[in-house]
Amino acid sequence: MARAVWGIVAREFVRFLRQRGRLVSSLARPFVWFVFAGAGFRALFAGPPGLDYPRYMAPGLLGMVVLFGAFLAALSTVTDRDAGVLRLLLVAPVPRGAVALGKALGATLLGTVQALAVALILLPAARLSLTPGGAALALAAVVLTSLAAGAVGLVLAATIRSIENFSGVMNFAIFPMLFLCGAFYPMRNLAAPLRALAYLNPIAYGVDLLKHALLAPWSAAGYGGELAVGCDFAALAVFAGLGLAAATPLLAREGGVTRAAFSGERR
Amino acid sequence: MIEARGLGKDFGAVRALDGLDLDVGEAEFFGFLGPNGAGKTTTVHILATLLRPTRGSARISGHDVVRGSLAVRKSIGLVFQEPTLDRDLTVEENLRFAARLWDLPGRAARARIDELLRQFGLAERRDSPVRALSGGLRRAADIARGVLHRPRVLFLDEPTAGLDPRARRELWQFIRDLRAASGMTVFLTTHYVEEAEPCDRVAVLDRGHLVAQGTPAELKRAAGAGSLEEVFLARTGRPLAVADAVVAPPGRDR
Repeated sequence: MARAVWGIVAREFVRFLRQRGRLVSSLARPFVWFVFAGAGFRALFAGPPGLDYPRYMAPGLLGMVVLFGAFLAALSTVTDRDAGVLRLLLVAPVPRGAVALGKALGATLLGTVQALAVALILLPAARLSLTPGGAALALAAVVLTSLAAGAVGLVLAATIRSIENFSGVMNFAIFPMLFLCGAFYPMRNLAAPLRALAYLNPIAYGVDLLKHALLAPWSAAGYGGELAVGCDFAALAVFAGLGLAAATPLLAREGGVTRAAFSGERR
Repeated sequence: MIEARGLGKDFGAVRALDGLDLDVGEAEFFGFLGPNGAGKTTTVHILATLLRPTRGSARISGHDVVRGSLAVRKSIGLVFQEPTLDRDLTVEENLRFAARLWDLPGRAARARIDELLRQFGLAERRDSPVRALSGGLRRAADIARGVLHRPRVLFLDEPTAGLDPRARRELWQFIRDLRAASGMTVFLTTHYVEEAEPCDRVAVLDRGHLVAQGTPAELKRAAGAGSLEEVFLARTGRPLAVADAVVAPPGRDR
C-alpha cells in the first residue's frame, strides 16, 4: 500500500514539473501581489513601527501559495476522472482511503514545494528574518495547511462533475478562501458573522500560524497570530481528517466514471 | 473463475441488469455479446468492484466482489472502453505508475515493463507521451497496463471500439499471444458478432437479460441459425445490428 501511495504522489509531482505554465504562474503570482497590492495599500496601512504593508502581507502570500498549490492540485482529481485515471486508481488493489491519502499527500508535496520556493525570495524581499524556531513553525504550518487544503479540495473535486464548473470553483471557493483568511488584514477587523465564516476556512489557521512564525515582533501590537498555536494546529488536523474521511467514499462514487459515460451505456 | 448468481443493477428507476447467472471457467475465452446499452459494461463494472450490485452476488477466484473487493482487484486486469492512461506521461511512466499501484517491486516491475513493451511493439515509443500515440498504440499500451500484474482474469470491455481494421487485427494477435503464454481467463464484451465467434463460450445479453449462453456451435444449433447474428435475431426478435444502430451514440467508429 505504501508503494501505491508513493506512486500516486510521484505522478502528481512529475505532472507538475511537466506543466511549465502552471509552474511559472504559481511562482509569479505572489510576487505580483507583493509588488502591486503592496505598493497600492502601503499608504492606507497604519501598522506599528517597522511593519509596512508588503511585509505584513508576506505570511498571507505564503498562505495564498499553499491555497493555489495544494487546493488546485487536489482539484486536478476532476481531470483524473475525465481522463479515466481515477478509474484506474479505483480498480487497483488498494483501499479507497489510500487513494484519497495519496492524492492529499501529492497536494501536500506540491503546496509545500511551491511555498518554500516562494519563501526563498519573498522573505528576503520583505526583509523578514527568521529565527530557527520561527522557521520550524513556518514549515510545519505550510505542510499541515497544504494537507488540510488538499483534503478539503479533494472533497470539492469529488463533488463537482466536470472542470467546466471551474469558474464557479474560483468564484465560490478559491476567492472567498483567499480573501477570508487573514492574508490581507487582521481577522479582528472583521464583524463577528464574517469572522465566524472565515474560521470555516482551513487557510485562515495556516495564515495565523505563519503570522506567529514571521510577525512575532509585532504580535504585541496586534499584528501577529491571533489564535493560540495549538488551536491552529488542532483546527488544521480536524480539516485534514474530516476532509480525507469525506473524500474517501465520494471519490469511489459511480465507479469513478463521469455520469456522461454512464448514460451512454444506459441508453 | 467467474461466478454470478441473480446479479442485478438498477440506476434509479432504470433496470440496467436483471437476474444474470454466469459461470466462466479457468483459462476460458468468454464472449459477452449484446448491443450497446444491453448492460455489458454495467456487468463488468460490478465484477470489477467498481459498482455494487443491487441484487444477487458474484465471485471471482472464489472472492465475493462486494465483501472481498481487494482480493478480487488483485486477481483481475481491466481494459475499459475509455482509456485509463495519463496522456501527459510517457508510455513507460504510465506503466511504472500502474506497477506501483499493483505493488510490484521495482526490479520485477522494470523487467516486466521491458517485456511488455517489446511484446506490444511499444519499445521504441516508451518515452513518447501517450497523447502522441496513435489510437492503436494507445490501446496496446492500455492492454499492457491491464496485464502488467499477470492477472488470472482479464476483462476487455469493447477493446476494439474506435480502432481501424489493422489495429484491430494486431490487438487480437496480442490477446492470442497473451492467452497462449499465460493461460489466463479472458472476459470479452463486444457488440461485434465476428469478435464473439472465436470465443470458447458466449453469453448473449439484451436489455439487461441473458437470452442465451453456450459455445457458439451450441447456440447456433439450438436456434437453428447459421451465425451468432441469427442467434440474436431468433432469441430477441430483433437483429443485433439494428438494435445496435438505434442505441449507439452518434459518431462512434464501427
